[in-house]
Amino acid sequence: MKENKVKLAKYLKEHFPAIIEKDYNYNRIDFSINRELVPSVLRLLKEESGYIHLSHISCVDWLEEEEFELVFIIWSPVDKIKILIHTRIDRNNPVMDNIDKIWRQANTYEREIKEMYGIEFTGLEAADEFLLEDWNGMPPMRRDFDTAAYASNKYYNRPGREDAMDVREEIARHSGEEIPDFAKKYSR
Amino acid sequence: MREKATTLYIGPQHPGITGNMMIRLKVEGDTIVKAITEVGYLHRSFEKLAERRNWLQAFTLMCRFCVPEPDPVEETYSRAVELLEGRSVPDRAKFLRVLVLELARISSQLLWYGGQGASLGLYTIGQWSVGDRNYILDLFEELTGARVYHMYIWPGGVRRDMPEGFEKRVLKTMDYLEGRLDEYEALMFDNAIFKKRTQGIAIIDKEKAIEWGVVGPPLRGCGIKSDIRIDDPYEVYEHLDFEIPVYEGGDIWARALVRRDEIRQSIRIVRQVIKEMPGGSYYNKVPNPQKWTIQKGDAYARTEAVRGEIGFYVVSDGSNHPRRAHMRGAAYVHGITLLEDILKGANVADVSSIMNSLGTCPPEIER
Repeated sequence: MKENKVKLAKYLKEHFPAIIEKDYNYNRIDFSINRELVPSVLRLLKEESGYIHLSHISCVDWLEEEEFELVFIIWSPVDKIKILIHTRIDRNNPVMDNIDKIWRQANTYEREIKEMYGIEFTGLEAADEFLLEDWNGMPPMRRDFDTAAYASNKYYNRPGREDAMDVREEIARHSGEEIPDFAKKYSR
Repeated sequence: MREKATTLYIGPQHPGITGNMMIRLKVEGDTIVKAITEVGYLHRSFEKLAERRNWLQAFTLMCRFCVPEPDPVEETYSRAVELLEGRSVPDRAKFLRVLVLELARISSQLLWYGGQGASLGLYTIGQWSVGDRNYILDLFEELTGARVYHMYIWPGGVRRDMPEGFEKRVLKTMDYLEGRLDEYEALMFDNAIFKKRTQGIAIIDKEKAIEWGVVGPPLRGCGIKSDIRIDDPYEVYEHLDFEIPVYEGGDIWARALVRRDEIRQSIRIVRQVIKEMPGGSYYNKVPNPQKWTIQKGDAYARTEAVRGEIGFYVVSDGSNHPRRAHMRGAAYVHGITLLEDILKGANVADVSSIMNSLGTCPPEIER
């Protein structure tokens, strides 16, 4: 396994000198690269190195760094190694190349990431809506999406329903006990 | 004269659909010319909720990702968190995990028997298999305190040890189920209706199976030997002796044969696990969940569930809650791109049978 990883890293560096590797002590190796090169790296790994199975595509919102991180996880049934390809894209102009010509099922992942994070995939051909319906606001999986504000604007408490009160206050009222200090910061 | 194409809507509430999703079909006569899946009826945003909870609170959401098969999801999440933190798990916990995973596999296969049978009008199979599944749910209730959502496999190990005499009751249930399998064989696999409605239907081509990212029984039904328990072993599977059933054909029948044989293999694994169960602790205690922080990093764990590959990508930013906990389910591929492709040219009456054979699970797609 170790030999395969070394060979793989060397092979990728020959083709993509800018690629950064990170090895793990189990059957996993990570590579980081610019977003423009991701489709070429994936295609090379699939067609030349036997990494034929696309296991997952994930997106992480690094709000503080103003970046989205996209992670492509691929697997080779021969090498029995997982490769994680990481790339960072600008959060203010989130554009990524579409890879559903390499793996057809990537289309579904891209549709979801587009909807949930607002990342545009160039050339993605799919129906507009995936999970959300008539959604015009901020993509909801972004870290700065205010779930509490959304819920209070969208839904209302049924009039006369007293259990809409904060449960801690309700318990304190009944039992006469003080709300512990650590719980107060969560009170409404 | 050429028939005019009609649009048919199946779902989101439909007895043949395995959950709440809709398929928009364009049909000419009985033949489907185009199928578009529409999801969005079950979106509960568990992954968003997990980002606002600590590592242990998030785990309680994970089993709810897929109703018929909750255990592999909580095991995958727990293992991903352990991988991320570098936390070890006692051997006994690993054996108990495999015991639960395999019991869950049998229970899920029995539920699938019912679904696959009912989709073809064979309701007796479901009445039997759901009844037999209850014996496994009884075991789960005794071990974990719950029948469907167990929340038993958590980061660090499992939540409790086996009660006294539990092994004997497991083995007794296994003996009973093994005896029943021959009856299912006669009821389902020797049934002319079942054969006629599954053989040669919804064939997945071997090359296309790899191209489309097919996993689990549909892939093994195409003659490809692929199982994460062998290829990328986790827990104690590498020490256990079992076989991977593989059938050629790629049709619903082949997928059904794979699932049928997997029950026997699961019973075999359960017996081995009970026999070889080591003593000792079943849980490496995690710190106070409110203060339990995990160093910055990411991890990906994957599991062979009944429907195929389940994966969890977890990311930590060094705080006491996940930055991201993203699940990959088999239905994510099977239920959308594969289903849309495979339905082309199929008969309208086979839609629910095809969905069942692929293990489509809408709650897993939407999460």
